[in-house]
Amino acid sequence: MASLRSFVRRTSREVRAVDDISFAVEPGEVVGFLGPNGAGKTTTLKMLSGLLHPTGGEVDVLGHVPWQRAKAYLRQMTLVMGNRNQLQWDIPAIDSYELNRAIYRVPRDDFRRTLDELTELLELGSLVHKPVRQLSLGERMKCEVAAALLHRPQVLFLDEPTIGLDVTMQRRIRGFIAEYNRRHGATVLLTSHYMLDVEALCKRVIVIHHGRLLFDGNLADLVKRFSPHKTIVVELGDDAGGPNGPGGSGGQLGERDFSAFGEVVTAEEGRVTLRVPKADTARVTERLLASMPITDLTVEDPPIEEVIEQVFASGPTESERENERAPVAHE
Amino acid sequence: MNGLLDAYRAQFKVTFAVQLEYRASLAIWLIGTILEPTVYLVVWSTVARAQGGQVGGFAPEDFAAYFIVTMLVNQWTFTWIMHEFEYSVRMGALSPQLLRPLHPIHLHVADNITYKLLTSTVVVPVAILLAWAFGARFEPQPWALALAVPALALSFATRLLLGWTLALAAFWTTRVFAINEMYFLASLFLSGQMAPLALLPAGAQLLATVLPFRWVVAFPVELILGRLTPEQAGVGLAVQALWLVISLGSMTVIWREGIKRYSAVGA
Amino acid sequence: MAFLRLLGVFLKIGVLHEIEYRVNFYIQVVRSAISLATGLLGLTVVFSHTDTLGGWRPAELLVLLGVYFLGAGLIGLVIQPSMQRFMEDVRQGTLDFTLTKPEDAQVLVSIRQVQVWKVVDLALGMIIIGIALAQLGRELGPWQVASFVIAILSGSVIIYAFWLMLATLSFWFVKIDNILVVFQSMYQAGRWPVGIYPVWLRSALTFLVPVAFATTVPAEALSGRLTPETLAGSLAMAVLLFFLSRRLWTFGVRHYAGASA
Repeated sequence: MASLRSFVRRTSREVRAVDDISFAVEPGEVVGFLGPNGAGKTTTLKMLSGLLHPTGGEVDVLGHVPWQRAKAYLRQMTLVMGNRNQLQWDIPAIDSYELNRAIYRVPRDDFRRTLDELTELLELGSLVHKPVRQLSLGERMKCEVAAALLHRPQVLFLDEPTIGLDVTMQRRIRGFIAEYNRRHGATVLLTSHYMLDVEALCKRVIVIHHGRLLFDGNLADLVKRFSPHKTIVVELGDDAGGPNGPGGSGGQLGERDFSAFGEVVTAEEGRVTLRVPKADTARVTERLLASMPITDLTVEDPPIEEVIEQVFASGPTESERENERAPVAHE
Repeated sequence: MNGLLDAYRAQFKVTFAVQLEYRASLAIWLIGTILEPTVYLVVWSTVARAQGGQVGGFAPEDFAAYFIVTMLVNQWTFTWIMHEFEYSVRMGALSPQLLRPLHPIHLHVADNITYKLLTSTVVVPVAILLAWAFGARFEPQPWALALAVPALALSFATRLLLGWTLALAAFWTTRVFAINEMYFLASLFLSGQMAPLALLPAGAQLLATVLPFRWVVAFPVELILGRLTPEQAGVGLAVQALWLVISLGSMTVIWREGIKRYSAVGA
Repeated sequence: MAFLRLLGVFLKIGVLHEIEYRVNFYIQVVRSAISLATGLLGLTVVFSHTDTLGGWRPAELLVLLGVYFLGAGLIGLVIQPSMQRFMEDVRQGTLDFTLTKPEDAQVLVSIRQVQVWKVVDLALGMIIIGIALAQLGRELGPWQVASFVIAILSGSVIIYAFWLMLATLSFWFVKIDNILVVFQSMYQAGRWPVGIYPVWLRSALTFLVPVAFATTVPAEALSGRLTPETLAGSLAMAVLLFFLSRRLWTFGVRHYAGASA
């Protein structure tokens, strides 16, 4: 019955996809945008590449206003979207490359040279001579990336470039981006879900959540700022632990209750991971060493994924909630 | 200009390759293209015979000539961009085209011309066959045929631009389907594809004259059939040129406004 | 029996599915309205210049138009969507799921997909027929009603068998994704009585793409000009095509199963 009701009347809401984000990027930088789905990263890239008109604010890229889509601007930039194809489906990629060459007015010699370089860096080989529909997802992605770079753009917008690819291919694309940036000094703005992408490529990250800029700086600083915890990993000597499983339900480990020291993240045979507030780290470490048969102890920052997750899980702030207007009857 | 020609050359290579891949599907679509005028041809010939040999100045042989030439003119000037564009916008497939330093319309022009060239290899022989089968009769005049070339070119350009203008409605609403269908119905009726304009009620004829439909299809047809005087031909070409200017203007304006509303969804 | 039960199930699924997409309802209404307008405009203009067309009076042509919509509705409701889905399955290689079900695969494939909004065409067709018959004025005799019903049923079987054969060809011609358009393109000729067409076209519309049996023949029944020979011919065609399509189906399935093994 609910489905019938929605059949008759639809409601709609206005949502601010991007709300007051400001930053500046120097030539040659590789900047990563982090944020959960719907955060506004892709919208930001689309505005920077000229696809979207913002409702307010200013953008200057290479001296151009992107959404005026001046030909001079379009020839110097490229946007690669992970799940969007620009290659023609039924013909070999090389034919699409020729088309791009003509459209971007790349002189033939430069085109040859660039194509050779891309073929080498991306290991394209004979892939470009097969109809695109016969390629696997990873092979297609490589060809798409090559197509996007044939005109040697100075600015690269990469939206989820490794999405859906297997681990080997992800690594290869990452390596390629780094190499391309190194060789040509191209500026790269990249969004990704995968921390590995960001860790491998970006010294600088911008964190976006609910359309707002939460952080702009070094990755290391991100952890320091947003993580109020440290992780302590202890390895235990003697016959601690055993097949009885983690503590709490009797067995050897049950004798040693670690929960008094801090939050127990994992507890397994001879090894316990604790999460403690940063300020308490020294004190807890001291107590552990004093009262437990510890053979090894490590103090670590929590993995970046966890930090990011914590940031995003904190939900919208009060001011963000104001941005979502009341339901409006439609039609 | 050189760059644009180069781009077109490259585009044609792609459009020909892709369309040739789908030539079987193309052939199947032609069945409808050829059958529709043939059906009206037969219907009106039947009417003519029932009315003592002719109706509105058209005998069966004249109807044959009329509908066959109309089929060709329509085939050489029509556009289907309205359907494609709505799909592109909805699926975000327009985005890659917008990122390139070439207006998306050029890809459609290349695609369109390629389609016309490829399908003509079938449609023209079939038209000749039908003309023979139905005993089509007309007296073409050399000067009129010569003028038909620019007339067809003007028609092609105008229909393309008008089609684009209509297609851009997709930027404002998802309900373009109704608009497109009504446009096609109006086109069928008012451009003389259902019946020669002279046989339509007076109100419809007036509407057809005020709107571009008469000038993009019916006029070139009459020109080719040799049914116009030089003065009428001149007037027709002038009106065609006027409609070209109007359609170019409206398309430019609406594109500029519409592109601001593009939401690049689907990515 | 099982067939009716299955049909009921798929109808219900179709309804629930379509309610989510009210845009399809809107599209169907527009399409039917435009199609109706096209048909009526054509008839109006033609009959502003004559009283009969090939012996058919305006009201009788209106009956034909109504039968045209009725046929479009019946085809579009179950036959067309099911056949399109079947061809999709062949192309994607997902037909196996259907082939391994306990019911007869041909039955499943044929009634699996329902496009509920096509009832608009069905309703429209019946309304038009009703109006046209009222205009004709005379009473409908038992022979007319009976022959009409038989003609419709026979025509449905013929159309179904034809669509099945077209779709089965996709086992071999995977590249032609619009093969079903062959029927739809020819169907538009059914708005006019097949008798007015030259012999070659009439034959094509009867024996090649059997549009005539879905439109002209039932309309002839209602307007009282259907001969017993024609009706018998329709029935014979139905039986013949049904068996042919079944044979082609089993042949095709065996070929398909063999290929993917």
